[in-house]
Amino acid sequence: MIKCENLQKTYPLKKLHGFQALKGLELSIEAGEFVAITGPSGCGKSTLLNIIGFLDNPSGGRYLFRGRNVSSFSDSERSGLRLSEVGFIFQSFNLLPRFTALDNVRLPMLYLGENSADTESRANALLERVGLKGKEEHSPLELSGGERQRVGVARALANNPKLLLADEPTGNLDSRTGIEVMQLLTQLNKEGLTVIMVTHDMNLAGKASRIIRMKDGAIEG
Amino acid sequence: MRISESLRTGTLEIFHHKMRSFLTFFAISIGVISIMYSLTLIYSMNFRTQKALEVVGYGRMQVQTKRSYQETTTMDKKEARDGLTLEDALALHKNFPELPMVSPLMFSGGEFGIGDFRDWNRVAGITTEWKKRGWVYKVRGRFLNQNDIDTYARVCVIIQDGGWFKKPQWMKFYGWKDDFQEYIKHHDVLGRTVSLGDNLYTVVGILEEPPLEKNPKTFLDLEEWEGKILIPITTLQRLMGGSWGWAEAGSIESIQVDTGKAATVPVYRRRIEKVLQARHGGRLRLDVKDFGEIIKTKMADKHRDMYTVLIIGAIAILAGGIGIMNVTLATIYSRIKEIGIRRAIGATRGDIMAQFIIEAMLLGFLGGLAGILISMGGIQYLASNGDTDMMMLQWWMPLVSVVAAVLTGFLAALYPAFQASKLDPVEALRYE
Repeated sequence: MIKCENLQKTYPLKKLHGFQALKGLELSIEAGEFVAITGPSGCGKSTLLNIIGFLDNPSGGRYLFRGRNVSSFSDSERSGLRLSEVGFIFQSFNLLPRFTALDNVRLPMLYLGENSADTESRANALLERVGLKGKEEHSPLELSGGERQRVGVARALANNPKLLLADEPTGNLDSRTGIEVMQLLTQLNKEGLTVIMVTHDMNLAGKASRIIRMKDGAIEG
Repeated sequence: MRISESLRTGTLEIFHHKMRSFLTFFAISIGVISIMYSLTLIYSMNFRTQKALEVVGYGRMQVQTKRSYQETTTMDKKEARDGLTLEDALALHKNFPELPMVSPLMFSGGEFGIGDFRDWNRVAGITTEWKKRGWVYKVRGRFLNQNDIDTYARVCVIIQDGGWFKKPQWMKFYGWKDDFQEYIKHHDVLGRTVSLGDNLYTVVGILEEPPLEKNPKTFLDLEEWEGKILIPITTLQRLMGGSWGWAEAGSIESIQVDTGKAATVPVYRRRIEKVLQARHGGRLRLDVKDFGEIIKTKMADKHRDMYTVLIIGAIAILAGGIGIMNVTLATIYSRIKEIGIRRAIGATRGDIMAQFIIEAMLLGFLGGLAGILISMGGIQYLASNGDTDMMMLQWWMPLVSVVAAVLTGFLAALYPAFQASKLDPVEALRYE
């Protein structure tokens, strides 16, 4: 599903002569895998996740997504892939605070141009699935951390993606709710979704089917 | 994203940032108020000017002879000079029956007396043709008729001032009162016998002028002061002797001609001069005044006023636009994270741009609506205070104003929205 060949990412920094976040990274992930990416801060985990999730373009090398080289896709092409192919789960949830839980989940569907009535019933179903029935009209500010992350998961699933990307999904949660969210991700993986998760926590990483350790912009070992 | 959803999001944002929205709203409202006011004022000015022109007539000219006081010293004083006569007017009428109006005028002065009241007044000698120009009056009794002219009747018609709906401030400081007008305002003289000079006349009609604010003549001041007492020109010639001293014996003051159209004035000017000179053997020193020229000058003045008003309106809405731009820019800086989130879940640059533009347009629309309501109220208030004709609201004015407000929102949001769409999603997501 995902193939990275000699992937490089350099950030232009004025003081340094460019900061190289990824240094010729090689990676291959099959459909249906649950991959945990670990490593110390600044090793390039998030950069890699951003590139895999089409938020960023690599500076060099090739990124093949389902056989297509997407490394040189335009901004709007990448937007389209983000919309329909991947779902993002963030450490800080990144929900829109002025929207209700339901509206947060509906948002990606609306960007896809679906009609309002459809999105409402589907968003309701997704919220029910992540265990938030009855909280549809709550604002994220009225929800607990665990509940917010569930809204985040429901939103990530809005457009039936093939790939779920989670950046420290339990980083802001207590251990009990963290475990609940992990169970949810594991469940989704079992249902066929490819999951890539960035984490510091080796316990959580242990739940994945494969662990990738990164160091200094490359994969260790 | 559908427009209805963008509108919903926009409304949500507008209501969430109440103060920010209010300020933009306020700026736009003021812009719209001034645009509405400008439009109404310009429309009303234009309307009144047109009305005044219609009343005066586009094809007007005044034929008179040069007075001795107007002559230069180099002129030969002994040169024979004729004055215009009533017969000249009749001849013009006969030669050019197609002319809508040939109105001879003659002036004199005399003491007007009724009971104990005495007041010196200017008296105009006219024919029935007088009625064909600048008629804005409401008649009580009757106007002079051909029989009055033919029989040298001792009848007169009095013009009663319209007064003001609301006296302007300067009028209050300027305490001058017209005794004659005060008298006829408070005493009904219709049907009464009055003395005028050495003779007695019957007042057969009162011509009531409209209030000054409504009188097109007030707006485009083209008429000469002719006095407020009108008698048949034949009677004036016979009984009051005509003349202010400088006119030739038996001559009349002027002949007012209406050719019906501005374009025909030069043609008739030549023809009329030819006919008149032929009648007087070339001894007339004609002075023909073309009203078209005067009207042009007056119109240019009015137009300058209108542009001034319009520019002020435009500046106000520009200020509103800058307000919107400023607020939209500020909004974007406070919503960088949101932009990042939206981009991460798949919004394109276009989606982000559209969102901010729609929000600004919505704000423009709402501000515009408020501005329209306020200004309509204000204009109604001004109108109810008497300046009815000065404040003419047309159905398309609110429409134009709202479109201007929405357009301002759109234009003002373009740059900030473009800036927002250029944000790097990764950077924006990291922003706290």
